Amino acid sequence: MYSLNRLLITVALTATVLLPVTSSAKDSAPLGIGTPATNAEIAGWDIDVRPDGKGLPKGQGSVAIGEGLYEAQCASCHGLFGEGEGRWPPLAGGENSLTEDRPEKTVGSYWPYTSTLWDYINRAMPFPAPQSLKPDEVYAITAYVLYLNDLVEDDFVLTQTNLASIKMPNEENFYIDNRPDTDNKRCMKNCKDPSKIIVVESLRGITPDQEEDASEEAEAESLSESAIAGKATYTTSCLVCHDSGVTGAPVLSDKDTWKKRLEQGIDTVVQHAITGFVGDNGVMPPKGGNLSLTDQQVKDAVQYIIEAE
Amino acid sequence: MSDSKKPESTKAYLGELANQVPSNSRRDFLKKGVKFSTGLAAAAATGDVLSSNNLPPNIPSWTKSLGTGVVSTPYGVPSKYEAGTIRRTVEWLTADKISSISMSPIQELKGIITPNGLVFERYHAGAITVNPEEHRLMIHGLVDNPLIFTMDDLMRFPSESVINFLECPANGGMEWRGPQMEALQFTHGMISCCEWTGVKLSTLLAEVGLQTEGKWILAEGADGASMSRSIPMDKALDDALIVYAQNGEMLRPEQGYPVRLFNPGWEGNTSVKWLRRLEIGDKPWHHREETSKYTDLMPDGRSRRFSYEQEANSVITSPCPENPWGQKGSYEIEGIAWSGRGKIKHVDVSIDGGVTWRPARLKGLVLSKALTRFSLPFKWDGAPRLLQSRAIDETGYVQPTLTQLRNIRGTNSIYHKNSIHTWQLQSNGKVKNVQLK
Repeated sequence: MYSLNRLLITVALTATVLLPVTSSAKDSAPLGIGTPATNAEIAGWDIDVRPDGKGLPKGQGSVAIGEGLYEAQCASCHGLFGEGEGRWPPLAGGENSLTEDRPEKTVGSYWPYTSTLWDYINRAMPFPAPQSLKPDEVYAITAYVLYLNDLVEDDFVLTQTNLASIKMPNEENFYIDNRPDTDNKRCMKNCKDPSKIIVVESLRGITPDQEEDASEEAEAESLSESAIAGKATYTTSCLVCHDSGVTGAPVLSDKDTWKKRLEQGIDTVVQHAITGFVGDNGVMPPKGGNLSLTDQQVKDAVQYIIEAE
Repeated sequence: MSDSKKPESTKAYLGELANQVPSNSRRDFLKKGVKFSTGLAAAAATGDVLSSNNLPPNIPSWTKSLGTGVVSTPYGVPSKYEAGTIRRTVEWLTADKISSISMSPIQELKGIITPNGLVFERYHAGAITVNPEEHRLMIHGLVDNPLIFTMDDLMRFPSESVINFLECPANGGMEWRGPQMEALQFTHGMISCCEWTGVKLSTLLAEVGLQTEGKWILAEGADGASMSRSIPMDKALDDALIVYAQNGEMLRPEQGYPVRLFNPGWEGNTSVKWLRRLEIGDKPWHHREETSKYTDLMPDGRSRRFSYEQEANSVITSPCPENPWGQKGSYEIEGIAWSGRGKIKHVDVSIDGGVTWRPARLKGLVLSKALTRFSLPFKWDGAPRLLQSRAIDETGYVQPTLTQLRNIRGTNSIYHKNSIHTWQLQSNGKVKNVQLK
């Protein structure tokens, strides 16, 4: 892959031998390697936002518009009220819980800056389709999450200019790491009273079984070619919903549900997966929300779902 | 909409690495307990029938036949008898496997180098497949000449190789409240150690012409999380590397192929994988993975941020729950120690729960910010013991007891739990994970 480059390096080394050696550590730069980044190239990738609002694009979004977007794009994992489904992170609640035995670290109770919320939604959410939201949508969803945390009113409109002025309740409670914070001594003898040692044992039965993992190989042998091809697509594009059942998605291992679906014919099931489908229990977005998949990839993934145990 | 709004969430705290185990998951794991994949068990797993035909005085069958030829496995794989030496995860820790973590089988590993296929994984949006010819690293912000580098460009710079550990700050984080995991792989396996090869970040910063106001660098990945962390300039100019190879070959996809940042001794997530962008600025960015996550909640309700260093730590790897001892007799108490602040200076071992300590021998390479092996020959009389190890690094820092750590940090900080670990060796040779009060 780098053969041309290797050739160039060889040429460069040969040239070095012939020239007097004048280099020292100090004048090692610049070496003239790399291509100037144009403003357009930088603008396309420079997505980060800081607490002072630097980096925010022009735009705005209201709590009202955010509600609809949130319910469609976020609620399946984070819950209708930001309470979090299953193991997915809660976004709201937890006020004054940080000193409690089970603190709830949410946007409202823990996050120090509003900009972090905008930045994270913009760069990484929704989880199955990162960087699919337009700036106005990010403003609206951010506004709605702030509303869920009682930080703005229901008629609030978040904009490029007012975002940095919204202070988060927990901002002042962060400080820079001040470790080392312990001062153990290298005691060698009589370091404690042996009669006062209390042994605490582990909770039983929560350590994963370390011999279950071998089953994957056996599974691969029984799959069709299409299903083997579909497994990778399933893992990256379908698993988030179909392993956990969020958004009402039928779970991979629920054979009865799939059997019922297949009664309408596999072509219909594949077609629903490609074009999207609204059922009694939930919504299947086109191609699971990953529109970069080819129809064949979706078909293979369906085949995998059918065959997987 | 205000009618439908709940006044307050009542959901119990289930943080990314909270110590509470969901009750349904606990049921799922209510099984026979831990099995051990050593020796006979591994042979049984491969379906081989064990017989004495290959034992002396008989000539083994493999001596009376031929083996496979060269390139029968063009990229070699471990012996089939080592099938139990694999990465494992704890399913109930995270909502799914895409944003999750696996642990290295440190109970099976020797020396200080982690083989590439066994380096622990931590993804925030899954391991991506990047075509190196289509990958670019952009450096911009407070610089004279913003530049874009291809992989070929990066490999033209003078390279450096270092042996350093890589550790997730959540290593051990499941045990703040009490012992939970009956396996070394799960108590300490979020650590690996490799030889890393790449370009010094300071070399690249000289190339773009760093401006004097530049104090922080935002490192950003090309994955679906666009994983980002703010890195102080001091670290960038000290020993940070832009790494493209590990243990002699190009990075594995799991480790950020084709290029990642590597911050020796610092919490693993700062070593951003699939690195696509470095922006120089005058202030930190306070992004999600340095505010909501990777901050340490203290008992007073305040939180530490930018807690980058992995402090001195150690653990006994033999014996351990997966490596029990047999009958009484001669054994080697062995283990690993490491510090993000430099070299390991001493490791002490206690067999009585920390009442008395004796110095262990450091063996093999003793390198800064690298795994270091320690060893203490031990004649076991079959009596139950409380085994501990205690690392001291070259700064003089002594690995703390769990009580000392809890007195300062409470039990909710999730990250940076580096306290002395206790294994309870039972008279039957089995080893249990315990904590001492």
